[in-house]
Amino acid sequence: MSRKDLGPRAIFGVPALVFGLSLCGLIGALLEDGLWDWIGAALLGSSLLALAWAIGARRR
Amino acid sequence: MQTRTIRAWTWVHKWSSLISTIFLLMLCVTGLPLVFTHEIDEVLLHQQWEPARSDGEKLNLDQVLEMALSRHPGDVAVFMSFDEDRPVVNVTSIDPGGPAGAYNFQPIDQTSGEPAPPVAGHPAMEFLLQLHTDMFLGLPGMLFLGLMGLLLVAALVSGVVLYAPFMRRLPFGTVRASKAARTRWLDYHNLLGAVTLAWVLVVGLTGVVNTLATPIIAYWKDTALAELTAAYDIPVAAGERASLDAAVKRAQAALPGMKLQFVAFPGSTYSTDHHYAVFFHGDTPLTTHLTTPALIDARTGELAAVASVPWYVKTLSLSQPLHFGDYGGLPLKILWALLDLATIVILISGLYLWLAKPKKKP
Repeated sequence: MSRKDLGPRAIFGVPALVFGLSLCGLIGALLEDGLWDWIGAALLGSSLLALAWAIGARRR
Repeated sequence: MQTRTIRAWTWVHKWSSLISTIFLLMLCVTGLPLVFTHEIDEVLLHQQWEPARSDGEKLNLDQVLEMALSRHPGDVAVFMSFDEDRPVVNVTSIDPGGPAGAYNFQPIDQTSGEPAPPVAGHPAMEFLLQLHTDMFLGLPGMLFLGLMGLLLVAALVSGVVLYAPFMRRLPFGTVRASKAARTRWLDYHNLLGAVTLAWVLVVGLTGVVNTLATPIIAYWKDTALAELTAAYDIPVAAGERASLDAAVKRAQAALPGMKLQFVAFPGSTYSTDHHYAVFFHGDTPLTTHLTTPALIDARTGELAAVASVPWYVKTLSLSQPLHFGDYGGLPLKILWALLDLATIVILISGLYLWLAKPKKKP
């Protein structure tokens, strides 16, 4: 049984979201101090969160 | 995607990665402790120092300069910088008749004129920084590492293109742990590459820009700053110069609200033969990395110009924090270190995938 190929949105959706969040975090922390240091770190940390989720949920 | 297209991108990904991997690994390994330079130096260097007169009046900059040069007769001043958290002025001078690049660096207590201990990094950290910056090869080493950075960008772009055909039947993040080791590591390689792409791209590109610092500054001096010196003919001799202290005050008046960073003396790298270049920076996370020089005519002490910083110098200034990750406090530094570790895994897994590739039968 062959599986149907995934579309570009399914392939690149999550990586593109993580890319955008990380970039916002990197630039946001540069533009403002204080709270934005934490928001920036949280947004950049989304990449590691996605990694941890994938290893936990998608390991088979 | 056609097979021929995939093959072409695979070729780009393989060779851009293979050529640069060993150098990128060196950069990642040396970069890891460098992220925490400030913290490591604080632990390794227990420097306790107090100014001679913490409440006393400070010496003016002309007095500090005179004291510094009196300790190295024959030297000419090159730079003067200012510590942010202690009343110390750092004077860099050089003997014009001596060997090139043999600078004398003197931190001076501005309350007494006595020498203060230099705020130098730990020798181990200095070694790592030099290795990371130019591999002890100077400008050629920097430019070579810049080239490796460009290969990294090529590897990232080709990796994104190849991600689609590899993942066309696998949901995001799939790791086929029960399959052969090579399949498992291919999945980890793709997953790590996908989630760290933005960070690796930003750190890689800003690293490339940083390797161009010397030519960028040289170009700025030869073009934008040269226009400001067109009206002058003979360089100003040291004895003909106006008061440095007055020059800095004049510059501060022209740029109110900005913080004094350093002064480049006439004839030095960051100035012209005719000006004190007084550099200021802002006090927000963004503007603290953007410097603005005010040029003071060294003969008359008058403000000659507030030089606008061209886009390529601004790009260089902003590339430094985005490469070092030192602008968002400890949380950002910890993330920088974790993402650096993830990049090391990507590099090693890429190498493994190439070595473990099944050999074609003849």
